[in-house]
Amino acid sequence: MVKYIPASKEDALNFLASHDAYIVAGGTDMMVLKRNAAGLLPKFDKDVLYISNLNELNKIYEDKEYIHIGATATLDEIYNHPLTPKLLKEAVGEVASINIRHFATLPGNIANASPAGDTIVIDYLLDAIVKLESKNGVRLVKAENFVLGVRKVDRRSDELITEIMFPRFSYDGDMWYKVGSRKADSISKVSVAGLYSITDGKISKFALAFGSTAVTVRRSHELEKEIEGLTQKELLDRCEEFVEKYSKIISPIDDQRSNKEYRLMVAKNITRKFIKQVGEGK
Amino acid sequence: MPNQSSQIYKGGKIVKSKYPTSVKKVDFAAKFAGEALFSDDIPFDNALFAKTLRSTISRGKIKAVHLPKLPEGYYYFDRSDVKENVVNIIFSDWPVFADGRVNYLGEGIGIFVGENMEVLNKLVEETKVDYIEETPVFDMSESYIHKAFKKGDYEAAKKKAKRVIKRTYETSFQEQAYLENQAIIAYFDENDKLTLTGSMQCPFYIKRAVMRSLGLGDDQVRVIQPAVGGAFGGKEHYPSLTGSQVATAALKLHRPVKMIYERPEDIVFSTKRHPSHSEYEALIGENNEILGIKAHIKLDGGAYKGCSGVVLSRALIASCNAYVFENIDIVGDACMTNHVPCAAFRGFGSPQTIFAMEMFIHHIAKEIGVDPLELRLKYLAKHGDVTTNSGHFHDPIILPELINKAMEMSDYKRKVKEYSKPGCLKGIGMSLFLHGCGFTGSGESDIIKGKVKLVKDENDHVYCYASSVDMGQGCRTTLKRIVAKNLGLPDEQVTMDGPDTDATPDTGPTAASRTIIIVGFLMEKAAKNLKKIWKKGVRQEHIEPYVGPSYIHWDEATMQGDAYPSYSWGVNVVEVEVNPITYQVEVKHTWSTYDVGRVVDERIAVGQADGGLLQALGYGYLENLRCENGKFRQKGLTDYIVPTAVDAPPMETAFIDNPFIYGADGAKGMGELTFVGGAPALALAIENAIKKEIHSIPATPEYLMEVINNGKY
Repeated sequence: MVKYIPASKEDALNFLASHDAYIVAGGTDMMVLKRNAAGLLPKFDKDVLYISNLNELNKIYEDKEYIHIGATATLDEIYNHPLTPKLLKEAVGEVASINIRHFATLPGNIANASPAGDTIVIDYLLDAIVKLESKNGVRLVKAENFVLGVRKVDRRSDELITEIMFPRFSYDGDMWYKVGSRKADSISKVSVAGLYSITDGKISKFALAFGSTAVTVRRSHELEKEIEGLTQKELLDRCEEFVEKYSKIISPIDDQRSNKEYRLMVAKNITRKFIKQVGEGK
Repeated sequence: MPNQSSQIYKGGKIVKSKYPTSVKKVDFAAKFAGEALFSDDIPFDNALFAKTLRSTISRGKIKAVHLPKLPEGYYYFDRSDVKENVVNIIFSDWPVFADGRVNYLGEGIGIFVGENMEVLNKLVEETKVDYIEETPVFDMSESYIHKAFKKGDYEAAKKKAKRVIKRTYETSFQEQAYLENQAIIAYFDENDKLTLTGSMQCPFYIKRAVMRSLGLGDDQVRVIQPAVGGAFGGKEHYPSLTGSQVATAALKLHRPVKMIYERPEDIVFSTKRHPSHSEYEALIGENNEILGIKAHIKLDGGAYKGCSGVVLSRALIASCNAYVFENIDIVGDACMTNHVPCAAFRGFGSPQTIFAMEMFIHHIAKEIGVDPLELRLKYLAKHGDVTTNSGHFHDPIILPELINKAMEMSDYKRKVKEYSKPGCLKGIGMSLFLHGCGFTGSGESDIIKGKVKLVKDENDHVYCYASSVDMGQGCRTTLKRIVAKNLGLPDEQVTMDGPDTDATPDTGPTAASRTIIIVGFLMEKAAKNLKKIWKKGVRQEHIEPYVGPSYIHWDEATMQGDAYPSYSWGVNVVEVEVNPITYQVEVKHTWSTYDVGRVVDERIAVGQADGGLLQALGYGYLENLRCENGKFRQKGLTDYIVPTAVDAPPMETAFIDNPFIYGADGAKGMGELTFVGGAPALALAIENAIKKEIHSIPATPEYLMEVINNGKY
């Protein structure tokens, strides 16, 4: 088994071209998944590529279309960066604890593809794009297409996530709700992010994404299309209908953190709250 | 919002200590610098590790254990290697190694010992155990300890009652969640004597357990306590089990053997707080008076009795909390289940029944339409009253002062009214409570018979010897302050180290809120007596045996008499807000008043007050430890949720003096007192906010969702 620390992105891509490896950036998920008994090294069953030292992947910058967040930028750096989209900043600020945020990264969160990954909810909601690079070129995949299931993502073994790209767009209002088991250092039982815009008295943009309530984050473009074009009053009048419809796109489970009844009820309560927020234009 | 901090900082400098009479804790510097040696930090040459082979079923006979081929330098020990296969606990039914059968999932069958942990883990994985499985019991249907007592004539009172009110209350498992996991090491000292060191509360318990299981004499086992990172009762009995296990291996191999638990192993397999199921009944008379209280309290004792009889006893003693009723009928059962054995945990049975009684008296008040506070005040215990167990409250009681002060600090009366309005999601709750200090009844004088020793060297430096363990609560600081004060010496001229059974007299365990009231009292007397014979520049020694109050009489069989030498008292007020979207509780603020006799060191006392209450709040709404089919679902601190600093509310605490004649300068116990009232105060605050009754803790959002949507009031 090879453990490799590349000197550059190019070096990393060369390594991946010939090795099916775990990629470790912050390691805050990987080191837990591969944990061994105390005092013993983690149990990796494949080669490992450590990329946290690659400063060229650490940049956060913007161009006309996107805010680009480099693969090794830590959640703490993202939280403190002026270009970070507001909702992402809010979500990042509630991930785990400060010490975890000093190491964790956005690609790590989405590549780990846990149903409870908080930043994945924001990736879905903001139509984020995962930028994958290999020796053969660049591939851009929408976040919601990138995640295939629990711990399953659309990454070829020769590819490295080099950036998460957030399309630049403005909207009128938003919401981030993380329901954890305590105020800090907790894994979400339910998380919901939403945003909307109103144009000429009509809802011109409506989006809601749910975390921890299904095997992957859930967002329904069909329901969004159904809502877009309605007046605020029409949305309010049909509030319960949409709460019910949204409750059908999620399928929460019982686990050691909560139960399905609670997750479903809270997801519905938050959906209702958001619909009222949009309907009342707050 | 910041918590109370003990010092006031300005521009990085301490300008004023909030506790001017407090001193820096003696262990502060070493712990702050990371230099203090905890069990796993102590270097040993030639040490081996021990890893436990655990049962994978909850109940059954062991047909065969198929060991893999042991590599050279690797060993396996089981019941065939001990002299007497029991752990010496109050009731010794727990085997050191499974005795041909297993009674809970994870019970230790044997231990593998060797140099490399990776190999040990593999040996455990490769071992196959054949069982004849039996149907396990997970509900509280099989009583293995039954206790009952009465006061007055409940049945006669029932005939006069105009109504009977009933409620059922439930409390859950709780994990001690000390910072340092279970750790124990057996080795040979410089004189080749079998010695144990580890994370412990009671060095002499371990010594006696090892002597018994291995058939060794009093002079053949030594126990030394290193720095201990928290215990909360979880290290009162459990190290007697693990200590016996590692000592078995060390004795055969004549090498140091270390057993260090990791967090999941500790949470899943070490002892827990007893879950409880309490059925309460109240008789209500013509004038809305409470004519009598009847209760049936069941505790889940787990697979072995251990100390569950005493926990049950103390739960029953606290069943009417700080109230005095004329007619009482109390029955209790500790039940055998195929769960991990439950044992000591801060409060020792009383948090379960004090929760039930505090909720019940409130629910009675609501049901008969009287003000809950007035009803509670009407039945408050007073000096000289006859206790629940037909003993007497021998000492002055200042509970009304404590209540008034707590209400004034928290603006309780205004808030409780305001928050009672429909739609208000804020709530405030108040609990009143007592906690017995020291061992039950006259146990301190008759059973424990604790001793302390003071040694003065030629330089007039005084060394204090007691088996009390400083597990973070600060007793090395407080006990030595008591000695210094009574000898009229500066603190620096007095030293107290951790116990070493070869040098320290047996002062009893570090448990039962007894360290200050009993050991502190002994230290005070010892210091006073040493002062009488003090000769400058000469080595002197003084041993002080405990002599307690002669008026304390207790009969454990009938549970009649004075249950404790004395009581400490307290009031907790908790304010919360409930989120209607997520049913989450936010604790906004707490206010507490305590009568602990007299405070020895205020900062240490506030440490107990804040820590105890925060742990109790966790018990009340966060700490959810669910056992399904004998298996705990929460296996680490990621899922077993204890409050973080962010969850901790601002906490205000006031102490009111009420000196106890048999306490050090009047001091009584407080370690458990600060825990027992937190959960009911919190639950009452939640009730105030959601306008529905709470019958169960922890009041998780999942539970509150049910209550809010389907509960009654």
